[in-house]
Amino acid sequence: MAPFGAAVLLAAVIAALAAPLLSPHDPLKQDLGNALARPGRTHVLGTDNVGRDVLSRVIWGTRVSLVAGLVSVALATAAGSLLGLLAGYWGGRVDGMVMRLMDAVLSFPPLVLALALGAVLGAGLSGVLIALGVVYTPTFARLMRGQVLSIKARDYIDAARALGASGLRVACRHIVPNAAAPIIVQASLSVAFTILAEASLSFLGLGIQPPQPSWGSMINAGRGYMQQAPWIVFGPGAALFVTVVGLNVVGDAVRDALDPRLRA
Amino acid sequence: MAPTVTRRTFLQIAAAAGLAPNVAFAADPPKKGGTLRVGFYVEAVTMDPHLSGSKVDRQVYYNIYEPLLTLDTKLNIKPGLAESWTQPDPKTLVFKLRRGVKFHDGTAFDAAAAKFNFDRMKTEPKSIRKGEVASIDSVDVVDANTIRLNLKRPDAALPAALTDRAGMMVSPKVIQERGSSLERDAKGAGTGPFEFVEWVKDSHLVIKRNDSYWNKQGGPYLDRVRYRPIPDDVVKLQSLQGGEIDVMDYVLPRDVAPMKADKRLVVVDVPSLADFGYQLNHAKPPFNVKALRQAVAYAIDLEQIVKGVWLSVGYPANGPISPASWAYDRGIPPIKRDLAKAKAKLLEGGAPAGFEFTMTTNNLPISVQEAEVIQAQLAEAGIKMKIQLVDASTLIASGNAKNFQMISFQWSGRPDPDGNIYQFFKTTPGTSFNWSGISNEKLDALLDRSREVSSPAERKKIFSDITKILQDEIPMLFIVHPIEPKAFSPKVQGYDPIPDGMMRFKDVWLR
Amino acid sequence: MSRLVLHRLAATVPVLLLVTAGVFALLHLTPGDPIDTMMSESADATAKAHLRKELGLDQPIYVQYVRWMGRVLRGDLGRSIRNGEPVIENVSRRIRPSLQLALLAMTISLLVAVPLGIVSAVRRNTAADRVGTTFALFGICMPNFLLALLLIFVFGVTLRWLPISGYVDPMEEGFDGLRSLILPAVTLGLALGAVITRTLRSSLLDALAEDYVRTARAKGLSEWVVVRSHVLKNALIPVVTVLGLQLGTLIGGAVITEYVFALPGVGRLVVDAVFARDYPLVQGVILLIAIAFIVSNLLVDLLYGWIDPRIRVR
Repeated sequence: MAPFGAAVLLAAVIAALAAPLLSPHDPLKQDLGNALARPGRTHVLGTDNVGRDVLSRVIWGTRVSLVAGLVSVALATAAGSLLGLLAGYWGGRVDGMVMRLMDAVLSFPPLVLALALGAVLGAGLSGVLIALGVVYTPTFARLMRGQVLSIKARDYIDAARALGASGLRVACRHIVPNAAAPIIVQASLSVAFTILAEASLSFLGLGIQPPQPSWGSMINAGRGYMQQAPWIVFGPGAALFVTVVGLNVVGDAVRDALDPRLRA
Repeated sequence: MAPTVTRRTFLQIAAAAGLAPNVAFAADPPKKGGTLRVGFYVEAVTMDPHLSGSKVDRQVYYNIYEPLLTLDTKLNIKPGLAESWTQPDPKTLVFKLRRGVKFHDGTAFDAAAAKFNFDRMKTEPKSIRKGEVASIDSVDVVDANTIRLNLKRPDAALPAALTDRAGMMVSPKVIQERGSSLERDAKGAGTGPFEFVEWVKDSHLVIKRNDSYWNKQGGPYLDRVRYRPIPDDVVKLQSLQGGEIDVMDYVLPRDVAPMKADKRLVVVDVPSLADFGYQLNHAKPPFNVKALRQAVAYAIDLEQIVKGVWLSVGYPANGPISPASWAYDRGIPPIKRDLAKAKAKLLEGGAPAGFEFTMTTNNLPISVQEAEVIQAQLAEAGIKMKIQLVDASTLIASGNAKNFQMISFQWSGRPDPDGNIYQFFKTTPGTSFNWSGISNEKLDALLDRSREVSSPAERKKIFSDITKILQDEIPMLFIVHPIEPKAFSPKVQGYDPIPDGMMRFKDVWLR
Repeated sequence: MSRLVLHRLAATVPVLLLVTAGVFALLHLTPGDPIDTMMSESADATAKAHLRKELGLDQPIYVQYVRWMGRVLRGDLGRSIRNGEPVIENVSRRIRPSLQLALLAMTISLLVAVPLGIVSAVRRNTAADRVGTTFALFGICMPNFLLALLLIFVFGVTLRWLPISGYVDPMEEGFDGLRSLILPAVTLGLALGAVITRTLRSSLLDALAEDYVRTARAKGLSEWVVVRSHVLKNALIPVVTVLGLQLGTLIGGAVITEYVFALPGVGRLVVDAVFARDYPLVQGVILLIAIAFIVSNLLVDLLYGWIDPRIRVR
């Protein structure tokens, strides 16, 4: 599976970087007379409701989806892990403060938080990235804290402490690597969620602004044409599905690599 | 209204819509009974017509309440609860009320009840009807079945307003005895062919046949009508296909062709009074420059938008008045695309190389699609348009605050042209629907005159003059007068479409 | 233990203050106005001004917040601007479908995920494991609304086995109600089941690699006994975390599923209220969701202590 995942991810990255070279048509070029055209020779994945080439839009959409998924998860992972580590390792008042803040963020329904943040930060991709980053931070913080609490109680931590290792050293050397596996699993899952969340936000009008294509907004736009022109949904839907599968597989491979005990 | 006429009209429309219904059943007499299940895009807000500010409420009202006057399919004003009316002078209207009409609570509808309703509309603090009855100075009870409206000024638009919520009569007893609960429970409150039964929020609203309805011609036939809110267009369509509802209130243009091909459904094209377009902000660059407004108007291809985005489920607009209205002037063509003229106007407006601006629009699929097409059309003239998608609340707030350059404006339309024109283009300081901020003396004078003269021919001429000024000044880019198709299960018979889009079920029956 | 609970409950006060103040600030920073939205077809400025005054919307935001808090402390969450009903009535009507949907989705997901996760981990690298991991992978990668559309298309429109929209209360009309919840519950349950399968498998594998497991194996205990008596409890910690986090999400955040299947749940209520700028309703519902969240998090933490006594707060 891992080579497959790597291939998918590589293909996605290439598609994102080389979109202008790879796409057979201009992704913004409309042809209202040829709207909802079936997949065929000129338009391999058909055309959408204003006659744009679906394949070209799928290729260009890779950029937005990858950026939305990866950047927001990176933000959430970094912020969440740091906060979770702080809370779990130092405990006490730090723990209380950090986790209350996370509770507050978590208590907001995610879409509402993203909606409000997006409205305040202004429509567009950067607002979405920050909003999604904030929404997913508590997940990582709680997971990290849970891991840290569990690891802290183990013998080898006590041993390291007894050998005079500093708190920072213990945290970096012993706790973070041991807590990383579930965080990576969670991150690889979260990319799927953030890409989907980006789609939901596009649906609410806070994502990428038209006419730039993103898979999420393409699926949403094509949703009303499921019976007449399902290819509008299938193109980006398949791209989304395959990419997320690839990301997951790669995430697992990384996890196995990080945790030698599990190597087969 | 005789059922035969109704059925014939229905068949004509069905035939016009390209359907060949089973003619065999056309001769069937209407049959009593059954529950009609109706899917609406959103839930009603209040059952009190005097406090109602949303369109969907009216859909229910037209079956349980009755206005003093009504509309026919050509939008002519006809008797309703008033069996006749006269206008002895421009500032007086006298209504003869129908005798023997009872509210569902058993109390009689008479002149005192009518006066009570007008007084409430004018004085109730929460009344939203104040604007529509503003021209009424006082209401006199002449005798038990006659009222006289004394007007502050001539108001040619008033009779049309009385075909809608401002003319709907509510039982004074219900208001006096349980005023505030009327918002949720309209039991006994109306005189219409159906009575309110129950409203379970988020689930359904049920009305039942009024067996002692005063009008013995035709229906009501249905036992009950059950309204269900289904906010999602795709789900609503699938619910109709799946037989979970019998009627849906609106079919999106993209679904019209496939639904017409579906034998399980009947689609009826109902022309609407709506006008959809974009207001341009006259107070802000770039559209404080008239030539640049005109440049945009010449760069836009209405034909292509109506054909490609609206899939011809609508008409290119020449102005605010819909082709369904008596005041529509076929002699005024919509502004035609002319890129050479657009370039000339750009030069005249001091932006020969084009300019940049932002369109604020609703994040509905069709609005997005239309915005994308306009964006591509303007780009061909060198005009760079950015699209900002917002939700409905933000859209209204941006319009009211005049915080936009170009903003989507969708008006559902009113039977009298006044309702599509006056409040949008008359000079008004402060908050109003005149989002563009247009203030034009000649236009203002014509607008006031249109309310003073009462002859329809004269009014039509004034509206044509207004339309020409609007095409020159461009406070608004008029795009389309949409058709609002409705879809039915084939067993639904006798629906008579009126261009105001309201679904009156009096003569509807189930096969 | 009861001291822990009291301590945690006391700690919720700042969280709730943070949440409510945050909601208030965010809502009022968002452009739009409830009265204009409600009366979108009326330009009657005096009627609108009157309504604003009556509802206190003409006051400065901090005054509105203090007044609102004052009423909340007296147990009054206020009334919805749009439909005039008490917030609590709106919520209690909407919470039923949401809770039922969440429970059904969780049941479906656990029924699928627990056996799959265990088998995958124990019979690692076998065909059974591949079934489990593939299910988890596909379930996670399947876009929620794409699955919903597919289910509707297949079971609702084509086969007509199940209703595709509308909600019937299973507490009142058992079978029909259950039928109306199946498609949305499967939609939600598949993704959740995938996450649980994956989490359970991964944490079981972690636990199986621990020294004490080797010891247990060396003692000659069978693999199943090892799993049941030594490993499962530890491996459940991440699963409990995921479940605890998801319960809140399911109740307050199944927005897309509730929309696509026209289910009148809490998620839709919040989003509709945000779109209508129905301030009291948004504030009230989010406060209640926040409370539900905090309680479920507290339960998760208590469960930690039960599962792994080493974490128990001393």
